[in-house]
Amino acid sequence: MSKKEKMLYPFYVISHPFDGFYEIRHREKGSVPLALLLVFLFGLSFSLNRRYAGFVVNLNNPLYVNAVSEVIGTFLFVLLIAAANWSITCLMEGEGRFRDILTVIGYSMLPIVLTLIPITVISWFIAADEESLYYLVIYISIIFFVILFLIGIMIVHNFSFAKTLFTLVLTLVSLLIIIFIILLIFSLLDQIKSFLLSVYTEIVLRV
Amino acid sequence: MKLKKLLLIPLIVILAGINCEDAYASENLPYQTYNYDYWGDVFYTPAAYIPDQSISGADLGTDQMVTPQDMYVAEDGKTYICDSGNNRILILNSDLKLDHIIDNFDNQGTADTFLNPSGIYVSSKNELYIADTDHMRVVVLDESGGIIKIIQNPTSEVLDSDFQFAPLKVTVDYAGRVYVVAKNMFQGIMAFDENGDFSGFSGTIQVEISSYDKFWRIFSTKSQRERQIQFIPTEFTGIDIAPDGFVYATNVDTNGIQSIRRLNPKGQDVIKKKKTGNLSGDLYWSDNDEYGGASRIADVVYRGNGIYSVIDTTRGRVFTYDDEGDLLYIFGGMGSQEGTFRNPAAIEVVGDKILVLDSFRGEVMSFVPTEYGNLINQAVALRYDGDEASAVEVWKKVLKLDANFELAYTGIGKSYLAAGENKKAMEYLKLGMNREYYSIAFKRYRDDMLKENMAYVLSGGLLLVIALFIRKAIKKRKIKGATENE
Repeated sequence: MSKKEKMLYPFYVISHPFDGFYEIRHREKGSVPLALLLVFLFGLSFSLNRRYAGFVVNLNNPLYVNAVSEVIGTFLFVLLIAAANWSITCLMEGEGRFRDILTVIGYSMLPIVLTLIPITVISWFIAADEESLYYLVIYISIIFFVILFLIGIMIVHNFSFAKTLFTLVLTLVSLLIIIFIILLIFSLLDQIKSFLLSVYTEIVLRV
Repeated sequence: MKLKKLLLIPLIVILAGINCEDAYASENLPYQTYNYDYWGDVFYTPAAYIPDQSISGADLGTDQMVTPQDMYVAEDGKTYICDSGNNRILILNSDLKLDHIIDNFDNQGTADTFLNPSGIYVSSKNELYIADTDHMRVVVLDESGGIIKIIQNPTSEVLDSDFQFAPLKVTVDYAGRVYVVAKNMFQGIMAFDENGDFSGFSGTIQVEISSYDKFWRIFSTKSQRERQIQFIPTEFTGIDIAPDGFVYATNVDTNGIQSIRRLNPKGQDVIKKKKTGNLSGDLYWSDNDEYGGASRIADVVYRGNGIYSVIDTTRGRVFTYDDEGDLLYIFGGMGSQEGTFRNPAAIEVVGDKILVLDSFRGEVMSFVPTEYGNLINQAVALRYDGDEASAVEVWKKVLKLDANFELAYTGIGKSYLAAGENKKAMEYLKLGMNREYYSIAFKRYRDDMLKENMAYVLSGGLLLVIALFIRKAIKKRKIKGATENE
């Protein structure tokens, strides 16, 4: 598979999701760096939309739009979901590898990446009663994303649809557990730090 | 020549000093004047009102006032103060000097007195309506203290038989209907007809039970439910009336959503609110501070032109709103300096001054508007009269003093819109964060642009089509040529 083919493969996936995701899993047609690039582009266009959408549809306070933290947040969130999903599906006989899950998430984001910036430009030219057009396009791209994501997870793990939904619910639970453990680790580290600090002060003052 | 220039410098300094005086005075105020912007963030503004004087009982040449509860400024400019602790009514003339005192009246031959009177209203015919709380009645006196009538013991099937009528605040509309805020009366404001007969409730506040509470009530046992706090509506705290007969009333809202109501003659709340806005003073507060908690609005005064001011007893602030529910300015605070309060109880307006009655100190504090406050009042008044064109000049002056004032931008933007200057209107309406009118301006601007450029767009399209045709024709010929050459 040539480089150009690989680059264009996401477009094939969004038009032929079943075949496309199958070949990502079994014929190595996906690319993790490309998926991460799409995630990055999604974070960027999301931020750009929040900052530069037309006044009529933009309800965000520009003071609180931060592209860097939004892109990083998107990455962390995608990694979390992928990790949570992988940790559940590998226990439930899912066939997908971690890289497949990442690729599915990244490639499914393509419709949003493709629409968000053009619709941001279009939003400069719409007035209050035409804003439904703007929201329609955004919602369609989000629904497209959700459908692609569901199909992708289903295909790479070779699940039935019901099992996919069930694992996604479990994914949500494991997501919460992961966040909880991360918080626990942080507070633990904090306590260890303060313990070491007090030991240090004790030694310094006694010796 | 040089000397002349040198002489000019001190002159400029002096002139600048005179101009700065107002600003300087506001820097020494014991409180901040602020407002909330579109995003709900606080922005500090120049002072809108500055303390003028405080009037205590001693200043008036009489005994100290003891926990005065209410005050009213009549149409002729006289101020009536309900000195509740001393069971008397003080009447000040329009210069805020003591005119006379009413502490007893002739009730059908016998001398009668008040007991803890806590509300007063004076009609345009100078009839005094006094809520004589602990005597369970509303006393109506004429100007000289002669009795007209007494409203007491309201009877109706909607009232409990053991209901104790303890009036707190009173107001009267142009038709002589009396509205009374009574103690422990949760069903609304009690309305009486011109003969003093109870006619019904006005402005009943619906109890809102949150779904969280509903959820827990399902699981609680009967005895638990009995011991829970009861869901009762809040009480009204203050009342005022606009000349058109609409009643402005305040109530306690611990959630800080809506503490001010404007009741039409049918008793329905018709106050205008911003889409997401609240009408309850401060938007944010801390919960466990000395001055924490939602603003507790104690009294309201209708100031004409749709403007009304309310006083908050939690943090001692005066909030002023316009007819559309926009905050105009917020000033005042708690403390012991002049211009701050300990326990504000009532708010009134005399001329352009705002009077606040402090029941803890037994004083009336008066505030005078600064240039900034005056300009805002003026502009809102002009807008209320529909004269948006002349309001623009005033709004521009406001913006010179406070470039963050969104209402001013909106005002200017709207008038540009009316004048057809859509581009400028867009600019100002965007600064005023007014999406609705911005959209109108934008639509017009877009149409204009399209109309102006339609010729270019169409001729450009035509040229493109022709170009494509020619290209096609050339290609055809080339292919033809190629085949001929073979």
